Amino acid sequence: MELTFGDAATKIIGSTGFSSLTVGDGMMILVACVLLYLAIWKKFEPLLLLPIGFGCLLANLPLSMMASTDSGGLLNFFYQGVKHEILPPLVFLGVGALTDFGPLLANPSTLLLGAAAQIGVYTTLVGAVFLGFDLKEASAIGIIGGADGPTSIFIASKLAPHLLAPIAVAAYSYMSLVPLIQPPIMRWLTTAEERKIKMEQLKPISQTVKIIFPVVVTIVCCLMLPGVTPLLGMLMLGNLFRESGVTARLHETSETHLINIVTIFLALAVGSSMTADSFLRLETIKIIVLGLLAFCMATAGGVIFAKIMSKLSGGKINPLIGSAGVSAVPMAARVSQKVGAEEDQSNFLLMHAMGPNVAGVIGSAVAAGVFISLFGDPTIGSNHAEISTNIISTISSLPK
Amino acid sequence: MDSIVITSLTVSLIAISVIFTVLVVLICTIKLLVYLLPYQEPPLSKSTTHASPQLSATNTVTPDIISAITAVMATHLGKSPQEFHITQINPK
Repeated sequence: MELTFGDAATKIIGSTGFSSLTVGDGMMILVACVLLYLAIWKKFEPLLLLPIGFGCLLANLPLSMMASTDSGGLLNFFYQGVKHEILPPLVFLGVGALTDFGPLLANPSTLLLGAAAQIGVYTTLVGAVFLGFDLKEASAIGIIGGADGPTSIFIASKLAPHLLAPIAVAAYSYMSLVPLIQPPIMRWLTTAEERKIKMEQLKPISQTVKIIFPVVVTIVCCLMLPGVTPLLGMLMLGNLFRESGVTARLHETSETHLINIVTIFLALAVGSSMTADSFLRLETIKIIVLGLLAFCMATAGGVIFAKIMSKLSGGKINPLIGSAGVSAVPMAARVSQKVGAEEDQSNFLLMHAMGPNVAGVIGSAVAAGVFISLFGDPTIGSNHAEISTNIISTISSLPK
Repeated sequence: MDSIVITSLTVSLIAISVIFTVLVVLICTIKLLVYLLPYQEPPLSKSTTHASPQLSATNTVTPDIISAITAVMATHLGKSPQEFHITQINPK
Protein backbone atom coordinates (compact mmCIF):
# COMPACT_ATOMS: atom_id res chain seq x y z
CA MET A 1 0.00 0.00 0.00
CA GLU A 2 1.46 3.31 -1.14
CA LEU A 3 0.95 6.33 1.04
CA THR A 4 2.29 9.73 0.10
CA PHE A 5 3.18 12.30 2.74
CA GLY A 6 0.16 14.39 1.73
CA ASP A 7 -2.25 11.44 1.96
CA ALA A 8 -0.90 10.43 5.36
CA ALA A 9 -1.14 13.98 6.69
CA THR A 10 -4.69 14.37 5.38
CA LYS A 11 -5.70 11.02 6.88
CA ILE A 12 -4.23 11.84 10.29
CA ILE A 13 -5.80 15.29 10.33
CA GLY A 14 -9.13 13.73 9.30
CA SER A 15 -8.96 11.23 12.16
CA THR A 16 -8.49 13.87 14.89
CA GLY A 17 -11.37 15.22 16.89
CA PHE A 18 -10.69 18.73 15.57
CA SER A 19 -11.91 17.74 12.12
CA SER A 20 -15.34 16.84 13.52
CA LEU A 21 -15.62 19.54 16.18
CA THR A 22 -18.89 21.44 15.86
CA VAL A 23 -19.99 24.71 17.47
CA GLY A 24 -22.33 22.67 19.69
CA ASP A 25 -19.46 20.47 20.89
CA GLY A 26 -17.38 23.56 21.62
CA MET A 27 -20.19 25.12 23.66
CA MET A 28 -20.71 21.89 25.62
CA ILE A 29 -16.97 21.70 26.38
CA LEU A 30 -17.34 25.22 27.75
CA VAL A 31 -20.32 24.10 29.88
CA ALA A 32 -18.20 21.18 31.16
CA CYS A 33 -15.41 23.59 32.10
CA VAL A 34 -17.91 25.80 33.97
CA LEU A 35 -19.13 22.76 35.94
CA LEU A 36 -15.54 21.80 36.76
CA TYR A 37 -14.83 25.38 37.85
CA LEU A 38 -17.92 25.41 40.12
CA ALA A 39 -16.95 22.05 41.61
CA ILE A 40 -13.24 22.70 42.17
CA TRP A 41 -12.95 26.41 42.90
CA LYS A 42 -16.44 27.23 44.22
CA LYS A 43 -16.87 23.81 45.92
CA PHE A 44 -20.48 23.44 44.72
CA GLU A 45 -21.35 19.75 45.35
CA PRO A 46 -17.85 18.76 44.12
CA LEU A 47 -18.41 15.03 44.64
CA LEU A 48 -21.08 15.17 41.93
CA LEU A 49 -20.45 18.21 39.77
CA LEU A 50 -16.82 17.23 39.16
CA PRO A 51 -17.54 13.78 37.63
CA ILE A 52 -20.66 15.17 35.89
CA GLY A 53 -18.54 17.96 34.36
CA PHE A 54 -15.81 15.56 33.31
CA GLY A 55 -18.37 13.11 31.89
CA CYS A 56 -19.81 16.02 29.89
CA LEU A 57 -16.32 16.92 28.67
CA LEU A 58 -15.62 13.33 27.53
CA ALA A 59 -19.02 13.00 25.85
CA ASN A 60 -18.47 16.09 23.74
CA LEU A 61 -15.02 15.24 22.42
CA PRO A 62 -15.81 14.22 18.84
CA LEU A 63 -15.02 10.63 17.77
CA SER A 64 -14.26 9.62 21.38
CA MET A 65 -17.39 7.42 21.58
CA MET A 66 -17.99 8.55 25.16
CA ALA A 67 -21.54 9.93 24.92
CA SER A 68 -24.32 7.99 26.57
CA THR A 69 -25.82 7.40 23.13
CA ASP A 70 -22.62 5.91 21.66
CA SER A 71 -23.48 2.22 21.67
CA GLY A 72 -20.49 0.17 22.83
CA GLY A 73 -18.71 3.18 24.36
CA LEU A 74 -17.50 3.06 27.97
CA LEU A 75 -19.95 5.61 29.33
CA ASN A 76 -22.79 3.98 27.40
CA PHE A 77 -22.29 0.97 29.68
CA PHE A 78 -22.38 3.21 32.76
CA TYR A 79 -25.53 4.85 31.39
CA GLN A 80 -27.28 1.47 31.35
CA GLY A 81 -27.20 1.72 35.15
CA VAL A 82 -29.29 4.89 34.94
CA LYS A 83 -31.52 3.67 32.14
CA HIS A 84 -32.37 0.46 33.96
CA GLU A 85 -32.75 2.10 37.38
CA ILE A 86 -29.77 0.40 39.01
CA LEU A 87 -27.55 3.27 40.16
CA PRO A 88 -30.02 5.67 41.91
CA PRO A 89 -31.35 2.90 44.21
CA LEU A 90 -27.76 1.91 45.07
CA VAL A 91 -27.03 5.52 46.03
CA PHE A 92 -30.11 5.32 48.27
CA LEU A 93 -28.65 2.19 49.89
CA GLY A 94 -25.63 4.25 50.89
CA VAL A 95 -27.78 7.18 51.99
CA GLY A 96 -29.81 4.84 54.19
CA ALA A 97 -26.61 3.50 55.77
CA LEU A 98 -25.53 7.09 56.49
CA THR A 99 -28.87 8.28 57.88
CA ASP A 100 -29.88 8.33 61.53
CA PHE A 101 -33.68 8.34 61.74
CA GLY A 102 -33.47 8.93 65.52
CA PRO A 103 -34.50 12.62 65.41
CA LEU A 104 -37.46 11.73 63.19
CA LEU A 105 -38.54 8.89 65.48
CA ALA A 106 -38.21 11.16 68.53
CA ASN A 107 -40.50 13.76 66.95
CA PRO A 108 -42.59 11.94 64.30
CA SER A 109 -44.83 14.94 63.59
CA THR A 110 -41.86 16.42 61.69
CA LEU A 111 -42.71 13.92 58.95
CA LEU A 112 -45.46 16.39 58.02
CA LEU A 113 -42.78 18.99 57.26
CA GLY A 114 -41.20 16.52 54.84
CA ALA A 115 -44.60 16.29 53.16
CA ALA A 116 -45.21 20.06 53.19
CA ALA A 117 -41.91 20.75 51.44
CA GLN A 118 -43.16 18.62 48.52
CA ILE A 119 -45.47 21.55 47.69
CA GLY A 120 -42.48 22.80 45.68
CA VAL A 121 -42.74 19.69 43.50
CA TYR A 122 -46.37 20.34 42.62
CA THR A 123 -46.21 24.10 42.07
CA THR A 124 -43.33 23.41 39.70
CA LEU A 125 -45.35 20.71 37.96
CA VAL A 126 -48.11 23.24 37.26
CA GLY A 127 -45.50 25.83 36.20
CA ALA A 128 -43.90 23.33 33.81
CA VAL A 129 -47.26 22.56 32.23
CA PHE A 130 -47.80 26.32 31.76
CA LEU A 131 -44.45 26.47 29.94
CA GLY A 132 -45.54 23.79 27.50
CA PHE A 133 -44.19 20.52 28.93
CA ASP A 134 -46.46 17.49 28.95
CA LEU A 135 -47.49 15.87 32.26
CA LYS A 136 -44.72 13.24 32.29
CA GLU A 137 -42.04 15.83 31.57
CA ALA A 138 -43.58 18.25 34.09
CA SER A 139 -43.53 15.54 36.77
CA ALA A 140 -39.86 14.80 36.11
CA ILE A 141 -39.05 18.53 36.31
CA GLY A 142 -41.22 19.04 39.40
CA ILE A 143 -39.34 16.41 41.39
CA ILE A 144 -36.30 18.74 41.36
CA GLY A 145 -38.21 20.46 44.21
CA GLY A 146 -37.64 17.34 46.29
CA ALA A 147 -33.97 18.40 46.39
CA ASP A 148 -32.95 14.80 45.97
CA GLY A 149 -30.55 14.03 43.13
CA PRO A 150 -31.00 10.24 42.87
CA THR A 151 -34.81 10.59 42.97
CA SER A 152 -34.68 13.25 40.24
CA ILE A 153 -32.53 10.98 38.07
CA PHE A 154 -34.73 7.96 38.83
CA ILE A 155 -37.93 9.78 37.81
CA ALA A 156 -36.38 11.52 34.80
CA SER A 157 -35.02 8.22 33.45
CA LYS A 158 -38.48 6.70 33.82
CA LEU A 159 -40.75 9.51 32.67
CA ALA A 160 -38.64 11.85 30.53
CA PRO A 161 -35.27 10.31 29.62
CA HIS A 162 -34.64 12.99 26.99
CA LEU A 163 -34.61 15.60 29.80
CA LEU A 164 -32.35 13.63 32.13
CA ALA A 165 -29.24 15.77 31.65
CA PRO A 166 -30.73 19.23 32.36
CA ILE A 167 -32.85 17.86 35.23
CA ALA A 168 -29.84 16.21 36.91
CA VAL A 169 -27.66 19.27 36.46
CA ALA A 170 -30.40 21.60 37.78
CA ALA A 171 -31.08 19.32 40.77
CA TYR A 172 -27.45 19.03 41.84
CA SER A 173 -26.61 22.67 41.10
CA TYR A 174 -29.48 23.97 43.21
CA MET A 175 -28.75 21.45 45.97
CA SER A 176 -25.30 22.96 46.23
CA LEU A 177 -26.90 26.42 46.36
CA VAL A 178 -29.22 25.55 49.28
CA PRO A 179 -27.18 27.72 51.71
CA LEU A 180 -27.72 30.67 49.38
CA ILE A 181 -31.32 30.03 48.27
CA GLN A 182 -32.97 29.16 51.58
CA PRO A 183 -31.90 31.78 54.19
CA PRO A 184 -33.56 34.85 52.55
CA ILE A 185 -36.86 32.94 52.19
CA MET A 186 -36.63 31.69 55.79
CA ARG A 187 -35.98 35.19 57.14
CA TRP A 188 -38.72 36.69 54.99
CA LEU A 189 -41.36 34.23 56.19
CA THR A 190 -40.51 34.29 59.91
CA THR A 191 -40.33 36.92 62.63
CA ALA A 192 -37.30 37.39 64.88
CA GLU A 193 -39.34 36.06 67.81
CA GLU A 194 -40.20 32.88 65.90
CA ARG A 195 -36.56 32.34 64.96
CA LYS A 196 -35.60 32.52 68.64
CA ILE A 197 -37.92 29.69 69.71
CA LYS A 198 -35.97 27.01 71.57
CA MET A 199 -37.23 23.48 71.14
CA GLU A 200 -37.36 20.84 73.84
CA GLN A 201 -34.60 18.24 73.91
CA LEU A 202 -35.45 15.18 71.83
CA LYS A 203 -36.36 12.04 73.75
CA PRO A 204 -34.08 9.04 73.30
CA ILE A 205 -35.45 6.19 71.18
CA SER A 206 -35.02 2.50 71.89
CA GLN A 207 -32.76 0.57 69.53
CA THR A 208 -35.58 -1.92 68.86
CA VAL A 209 -37.75 0.87 67.42
CA LYS A 210 -34.85 1.99 65.23
CA ILE A 211 -34.52 -1.57 63.91
CA ILE A 212 -38.25 -2.10 63.31
CA PHE A 213 -38.74 1.32 61.67
CA PRO A 214 -37.09 0.58 58.27
CA VAL A 215 -38.99 -2.69 57.99
CA VAL A 216 -42.32 -1.02 58.78
CA VAL A 217 -41.68 1.88 56.36
CA THR A 218 -40.82 -0.59 53.60
CA ILE A 219 -44.00 -2.59 54.17
CA VAL A 220 -46.33 0.42 54.53
CA CYS A 221 -44.94 2.66 51.78
CA CYS A 222 -44.13 -0.02 49.23
CA LEU A 223 -47.55 -1.60 49.59
CA MET A 224 -49.20 1.79 49.09
CA LEU A 225 -46.90 2.92 46.28
CA PRO A 226 -45.15 -0.09 44.69
CA GLY A 227 -43.37 2.10 42.13
CA VAL A 228 -41.18 3.57 44.84
CA THR A 229 -39.90 0.20 46.09
CA PRO A 230 -36.48 0.33 44.35
CA LEU A 231 -35.68 3.67 46.00
CA LEU A 232 -37.33 3.34 49.39
CA GLY A 233 -36.53 -0.36 49.71
CA MET A 234 -32.82 0.28 49.23
CA LEU A 235 -32.90 3.32 51.55
CA MET A 236 -34.43 1.24 54.30
CA LEU A 237 -32.13 -1.73 53.67
CA GLY A 238 -29.13 0.56 54.10
CA ASN A 239 -30.63 1.88 57.33
CA LEU A 240 -31.29 -1.65 58.57
CA PHE A 241 -27.60 -2.46 57.94
CA ARG A 242 -26.81 0.49 60.20
CA GLU A 243 -29.28 -0.10 63.00
CA SER A 244 -29.37 -3.89 63.21
CA GLY A 245 -25.84 -3.98 64.62
CA VAL A 246 -25.19 -7.40 63.08
CA THR A 247 -23.96 -6.32 59.63
CA ALA A 248 -21.09 -4.00 60.48
CA ARG A 249 -19.16 -4.88 57.31
CA LEU A 250 -22.14 -4.35 55.02
CA HIS A 251 -22.93 -1.08 56.79
CA GLU A 252 -19.39 0.15 56.46
CA THR A 253 -19.22 -0.82 52.78
CA SER A 254 -22.58 0.80 51.98
CA GLU A 255 -21.80 4.12 53.63
CA THR A 256 -18.29 4.44 52.20
CA HIS A 257 -16.97 2.42 49.27
CA LEU A 258 -20.26 1.42 47.63
CA ILE A 259 -21.82 4.89 47.64
CA ASN A 260 -18.54 6.40 46.39
CA ILE A 261 -18.19 3.92 43.53
CA VAL A 262 -21.84 4.23 42.52
CA THR A 263 -21.62 8.03 42.69
CA ILE A 264 -18.73 7.95 40.21
CA PHE A 265 -20.69 5.74 37.80
CA LEU A 266 -23.91 7.74 38.22
CA ALA A 267 -22.31 11.15 37.81
CA LEU A 268 -20.25 10.07 34.78
CA ALA A 269 -23.36 8.55 33.21
CA VAL A 270 -25.32 11.77 33.76
CA GLY A 271 -22.44 13.82 32.38
CA SER A 272 -22.24 11.57 29.33
CA SER A 273 -25.88 12.37 28.54
CA MET A 274 -25.05 16.10 28.29
CA THR A 275 -24.49 16.31 24.57
CA ALA A 276 -25.19 19.38 22.45
CA ASP A 277 -28.31 17.74 20.99
CA SER A 278 -29.85 17.07 24.39
CA PHE A 279 -28.63 20.10 26.32
CA LEU A 280 -28.43 23.15 24.06
CA ARG A 281 -32.16 23.65 23.84
CA LEU A 282 -34.72 26.16 25.07
CA GLU A 283 -36.11 23.44 27.36
CA THR A 284 -32.85 23.48 29.36
CA ILE A 285 -33.26 27.16 30.22
CA LYS A 286 -36.90 26.53 31.19
CA ILE A 287 -35.82 23.63 33.42
CA ILE A 288 -33.13 25.73 35.11
CA VAL A 289 -35.73 28.45 35.88
CA LEU A 290 -38.31 25.90 37.04
CA GLY A 291 -35.69 24.19 39.23
CA LEU A 292 -35.10 27.46 41.09
CA LEU A 293 -38.86 27.93 41.50
CA ALA A 294 -39.09 24.35 42.83
CA PHE A 295 -36.44 24.96 45.52
CA CYS A 296 -37.94 28.30 46.58
CA MET A 297 -41.49 26.92 46.81
CA ALA A 298 -40.32 23.80 48.67
CA THR A 299 -38.52 25.96 51.24
CA ALA A 300 -41.51 28.29 51.59
CA GLY A 301 -43.92 25.35 51.88
CA GLY A 302 -41.90 23.79 54.68
CA VAL A 303 -41.48 27.06 56.62
CA ILE A 304 -45.16 28.04 56.30
CA PHE A 305 -46.30 24.59 57.46
CA ALA A 306 -43.84 24.74 60.37
CA LYS A 307 -45.30 28.15 61.32
CA ILE A 308 -48.76 26.58 61.40
CA MET A 309 -47.45 23.71 63.54
CA SER A 310 -45.74 26.23 65.80
CA LYS A 311 -49.00 28.12 66.36
CA LEU A 312 -50.95 24.91 66.96
CA SER A 313 -48.35 23.60 69.43
CA GLY A 314 -48.29 26.86 71.39
CA GLY A 315 -44.87 27.95 70.16
CA LYS A 316 -43.01 24.71 70.80
CA ILE A 317 -41.73 24.37 67.22
CA ASN A 318 -39.25 26.74 65.62
CA PRO A 319 -40.52 27.43 62.05
CA LEU A 320 -36.96 27.45 60.75
CA ILE A 321 -36.83 23.65 60.88
CA GLY A 322 -39.54 23.58 58.17
CA SER A 323 -37.06 24.55 55.48
CA ALA A 324 -35.17 21.31 56.20
CA GLY A 325 -38.16 19.42 54.82
CA VAL A 326 -36.49 19.59 51.40
CA SER A 327 -34.26 16.52 51.53
CA ALA A 328 -30.72 17.86 50.71
CA VAL A 329 -29.33 15.99 53.74
CA PRO A 330 -27.68 17.35 55.88
CA MET A 331 -27.13 20.72 54.23
CA ALA A 332 -30.72 21.94 54.70
CA ALA A 333 -30.59 21.06 58.42
CA ARG A 334 -27.33 22.97 58.75
CA VAL A 335 -28.98 26.00 57.15
CA SER A 336 -31.79 25.85 59.76
CA GLN A 337 -29.15 25.70 62.50
CA LYS A 338 -27.20 28.62 61.01
CA VAL A 339 -30.19 30.93 60.54
CA GLY A 340 -31.43 30.09 64.06
CA ALA A 341 -28.00 30.75 65.56
CA GLU A 342 -27.86 34.15 63.84
CA GLU A 343 -30.79 35.20 66.05
CA ASP A 344 -29.69 33.40 69.22
CA GLN A 345 -26.31 31.70 69.42
CA SER A 346 -27.43 29.40 72.24
CA ASN A 347 -30.23 27.94 70.08
CA PHE A 348 -29.26 24.47 68.77
CA LEU A 349 -31.71 23.53 66.03
CA LEU A 350 -29.51 21.05 64.15
CA MET A 351 -30.87 17.82 65.66
CA HIS A 352 -34.46 19.12 65.53
CA ALA A 353 -33.98 19.99 61.84
CA MET A 354 -32.58 16.53 61.07
CA GLY A 355 -36.10 15.13 61.68
CA PRO A 356 -37.79 17.01 58.81
CA ASN A 357 -34.59 16.64 56.78
CA VAL A 358 -34.71 12.84 56.70
CA ALA A 359 -38.51 13.07 56.45
CA GLY A 360 -37.87 15.01 53.25
CA VAL A 361 -35.97 12.02 51.83
CA ILE A 362 -38.97 9.79 52.53
CA GLY A 363 -41.36 12.52 51.31
CA SER A 364 -39.61 13.00 47.98
CA ALA A 365 -39.42 9.22 47.47
CA VAL A 366 -43.16 8.99 48.17
CA ALA A 367 -43.79 11.90 45.75
CA ALA A 368 -41.80 9.96 43.15
CA GLY A 369 -43.92 6.88 43.90
CA VAL A 370 -47.10 8.86 43.25
CA PHE A 371 -45.77 10.00 39.86
CA ILE A 372 -44.79 6.45 38.95
CA SER A 373 -48.26 5.21 39.97
CA LEU A 374 -49.89 7.91 37.82
CA PHE A 375 -47.61 8.02 34.78
CA GLY A 376 -45.21 5.07 35.01
CA ASP A 377 -45.15 2.17 32.60
CA PRO A 378 -46.66 -0.89 34.32
CA THR A 379 -44.88 -3.21 31.87
CA ILE A 380 -41.43 -1.98 32.86
CA GLY A 381 -40.75 -5.14 34.87
CA SER A 382 -41.28 -7.46 31.90
CA ASN A 383 -39.07 -5.14 29.85
CA HIS A 384 -36.26 -5.64 32.36
CA ALA A 385 -36.67 -9.41 32.23
CA GLU A 386 -36.36 -9.26 28.45
CA ILE A 387 -33.23 -7.06 28.68
CA SER A 388 -31.55 -9.36 31.20
CA THR A 389 -32.31 -12.38 28.96
CA ASN A 390 -30.72 -10.53 26.02
CA ILE A 391 -27.63 -9.62 28.07
CA ILE A 392 -27.19 -13.24 29.23
CA SER A 393 -27.55 -14.57 25.68
CA THR A 394 -25.06 -11.94 24.41
CA ILE A 395 -22.52 -12.88 27.08
CA SER A 396 -23.02 -16.59 26.33
CA SER A 397 -22.33 -16.00 22.63
CA LEU A 398 -19.04 -14.16 23.29
CA PRO A 399 -15.89 -16.07 22.21
CA LYS A 400 -14.13 -17.66 25.19
CA MET B 1 -58.12 27.41 31.28
CA ASP B 2 -56.35 24.76 29.26
CA SER B 3 -57.45 21.20 30.11
CA ILE B 4 -53.84 20.05 30.69
CA VAL B 5 -53.40 22.78 33.31
CA ILE B 6 -56.57 21.65 35.09
CA THR B 7 -55.28 18.07 34.91
CA SER B 8 -51.95 19.15 36.40
CA LEU B 9 -53.76 20.92 39.26
CA THR B 10 -55.86 17.80 39.87
CA VAL B 11 -52.75 15.61 39.82
CA SER B 12 -51.03 17.96 42.27
CA LEU B 13 -53.97 17.91 44.70
CA ILE B 14 -54.30 14.13 44.55
CA ALA B 15 -50.56 13.59 44.90
CA ILE B 16 -50.14 15.90 47.88
CA SER B 17 -53.13 14.21 49.55
CA VAL B 18 -51.55 10.79 48.97
CA ILE B 19 -48.22 11.97 50.41
CA PHE B 20 -49.88 13.37 53.53
CA THR B 21 -51.93 10.18 53.92
CA VAL B 22 -48.87 7.93 53.65
CA LEU B 23 -46.87 10.05 56.06
CA VAL B 24 -49.74 10.33 58.57
CA VAL B 25 -49.96 6.51 58.52
CA LEU B 26 -46.21 6.44 59.22
CA ILE B 27 -46.55 8.95 62.08
CA CYS B 28 -49.25 6.80 63.70
CA THR B 29 -47.08 3.70 63.24
CA ILE B 30 -44.04 5.39 64.79
CA LYS B 31 -46.08 6.66 67.75
CA LEU B 32 -47.43 3.16 68.31
CA LEU B 33 -43.92 1.66 68.11
CA VAL B 34 -42.49 4.22 70.54
CA TYR B 35 -45.43 3.64 72.91
CA LEU B 36 -45.05 -0.16 72.79
CA LEU B 37 -41.24 -0.16 72.96
CA PRO B 38 -40.21 2.73 75.23
CA TYR B 39 -36.58 3.70 75.67
CA GLN B 40 -34.88 2.10 78.64
CA GLU B 41 -31.75 3.70 80.00
CA PRO B 42 -28.74 1.38 79.88
CA PRO B 43 -27.13 0.52 83.24
CA LEU B 44 -24.29 2.85 84.20
CA SER B 45 -20.89 1.41 83.35
CA LYS B 46 -18.04 1.32 85.85
CA SER B 47 -15.92 3.66 83.73
CA THR B 48 -18.40 6.50 84.37
CA THR B 49 -17.95 6.23 88.11
CA HIS B 50 -14.18 6.29 87.66
CA ALA B 51 -14.22 9.25 85.32
CA SER B 52 -15.90 11.73 87.64
CA PRO B 53 -13.37 11.64 90.50
CA GLN B 54 -10.55 11.93 87.94
CA LEU B 55 -12.08 15.03 86.50
CA SER B 56 -13.00 16.60 89.81
CA ALA B 57 -9.45 16.06 90.99
CA THR B 58 -8.18 18.86 88.77
CA ASN B 59 -8.27 22.36 90.16
CA THR B 60 -9.93 24.10 87.21
CA VAL B 61 -12.64 21.58 86.22
CA THR B 62 -15.29 21.36 88.92
CA PRO B 63 -18.30 18.98 88.92
CA ASP B 64 -20.50 21.99 88.12
CA ILE B 65 -18.55 22.60 84.92
CA ILE B 66 -18.78 18.92 83.99
CA SER B 67 -22.56 19.06 84.53
CA ALA B 68 -22.83 22.16 82.36
CA ILE B 69 -20.70 20.64 79.58
CA THR B 70 -22.69 17.39 79.75
CA ALA B 71 -25.99 19.27 79.47
CA VAL B 72 -24.79 21.31 76.47
CA MET B 73 -23.38 18.24 74.74
CA ALA B 74 -26.61 16.33 75.37
CA THR B 75 -28.64 19.15 73.79
CA HIS B 76 -26.21 19.48 70.89
CA LEU B 77 -26.00 15.73 70.18
CA GLY B 78 -29.69 15.09 70.90
CA LYS B 79 -28.71 12.26 73.24
CA SER B 80 -29.55 11.48 76.83
CA PRO B 81 -26.73 12.42 79.27
CA GLN B 82 -26.58 8.72 80.22
CA GLU B 83 -25.63 7.76 76.66
CA PHE B 84 -22.11 9.22 76.86
CA HIS B 85 -19.56 10.22 79.43
CA ILE B 86 -16.80 12.79 79.44
CA THR B 87 -13.46 11.18 80.23
CA GLN B 88 -11.01 14.02 79.79
CA ILE B 89 -11.05 17.81 79.69
CA ASN B 90 -7.95 19.76 78.79
CA PRO B 91 -8.34 23.40 79.87
CA LYS B 92 -6.28 25.70 77.67
